[in-house]
Amino acid sequence: MSSTDQNSSANDLSTTPNTAIDADTLADSSVDTSIESKSTTHFGYKTIEKDDKISMVAGVFHSVAKQYDVMNDLMSFGIHRLWKRFTIDASGVRPGNKVLDLAGGTGDLTAKFSQLVGREGNVVLADINSSMLNVGRDKLRDKGLVQNIEYVQANAEYLPFEENTFDIVTIAFGLRNVTDKDKALRSIYSVLKPGGRLLVLEFSKPENELLNKAYDFYSFNILPKMGELVAKDGESYQYLAESIRMHPDQETLKGMMENAGFEQTSYKNLTGGVVALHKGYKF
Amino acid sequence: MQDFTNQGLTSLSTQFSIQLGKRLLFPQVATATLEFIINKALALNNNKSVSFAAVAQKMLTLELAELPFTLCFTVNTSASKTVVIVRSCSELSDCTINTSLSTLNKLKANQSLTQLIKQDELDVTGDIKIAQQFANIAQSLEIDWQSELAKQLGDVPTHKLLQFGNKITKSLVGRGKQLEADISEYIVHEKRLVVTRSQINAFNQNTKDVASKVDTLSVRIDKLVANIANK
Repeated sequence: MSSTDQNSSANDLSTTPNTAIDADTLADSSVDTSIESKSTTHFGYKTIEKDDKISMVAGVFHSVAKQYDVMNDLMSFGIHRLWKRFTIDASGVRPGNKVLDLAGGTGDLTAKFSQLVGREGNVVLADINSSMLNVGRDKLRDKGLVQNIEYVQANAEYLPFEENTFDIVTIAFGLRNVTDKDKALRSIYSVLKPGGRLLVLEFSKPENELLNKAYDFYSFNILPKMGELVAKDGESYQYLAESIRMHPDQETLKGMMENAGFEQTSYKNLTGGVVALHKGYKF
Repeated sequence: MQDFTNQGLTSLSTQFSIQLGKRLLFPQVATATLEFIINKALALNNNKSVSFAAVAQKMLTLELAELPFTLCFTVNTSASKTVVIVRSCSELSDCTINTSLSTLNKLKANQSLTQLIKQDELDVTGDIKIAQQFANIAQSLEIDWQSELAKQLGDVPTHKLLQFGNKITKSLVGRGKQLEADISEYIVHEKRLVVTRSQINAFNQNTKDVASKVDTLSVRIDKLVANIANK
């Protein structure tokens, strides 16, 4: 696996070797999510060196890339399609817009954006993981979507685009795999045009305690078994559950976006807060 | 006061159902279903002369009185086939139509757009030509549902199924008309004859008054009888 492959897109499933915090502890939602230091970060519940995260997350996506869409449908019972639709609806995309689908993976959002921006517009599907990018490119080409899509292998922390380039930037189920989220948000801010908006679709914290418990049970007991059974890779699904719990909650992420410079930031909980869509503008 | 409370409750329940619908991502389910049906219909269209060039990348928004969210239609012709994308969005579009489902049915029945606007049944903001072009495209689609179904089921089952469908439709239409007639009959004639709550209350009060008078009379008669007996 390449050391350049890191955060990658959506509903990630990753190979996670060991976990430093066990699932029951996590289910109590009392895990300290702030134990990151300058040189360490999270990989699920495990605290690792920042430099190692890139290759560890990359391993996950290289291994799951081909089954990614099927597994997404299975894990979310197809609801991820509605979450993504909600994101498109909230994007306010118009013909002629330039859109960056960051950590775009297999290109679900890119496909819709490509149809909506038309010939005058342009969509850049960016992902740090080459396997995901290849699967996405093949899928979109099979759909006949070739005219206005560019593919870029890029790290969200160091976006290789000029300042003020995009009208819309989306990152769906990808931010939690980024090693330095603050740096990535600043990088996104930089490439957005004034007036442009960022949409972050990401797993979050359920609003209801009962739903939270049910969700924990599903994540830590059923999901890994499902992964073991279908994808023969239970550990990846364990990582998925852990990385979701370690991801900043709604208010924290909103604060991080504000710190990066975004204005009029807001979020909308979907499916009771299992997923949240954060929105922020650059003015 | 009661009317005010009822209005408040209705508004609250409407707000609740809108919020519940949004939480369940109902707008996204509805637009996804609609998008699937429209694109399926486009794929089955036999009228190859239909041109989408005039509406390519144009956005038409439909605000239906019955729906708590908007429907935005965008036609994409840049891919290998023409696709209609349906979203629920709040952004400005090239043309916005504000109307109801019943008016849309009238539009389907070849009543013209301008006629409906004059009758205040439809409100258009933006470029009306876009709405007309969308309406023309919808009307010029030719889909042979029978042949399409026959490909899946075979000729005889399709024929029987359609026969059955027609019977059911006729029966439903007949029952609908009968129901409509019964309701009008009730509203126009029978409702006037039906005793109202205030009339029932007045009747009850009158009955109580009569009963009370009868009781008083009975007491008086008893007294008189007692007086006569004493004499």
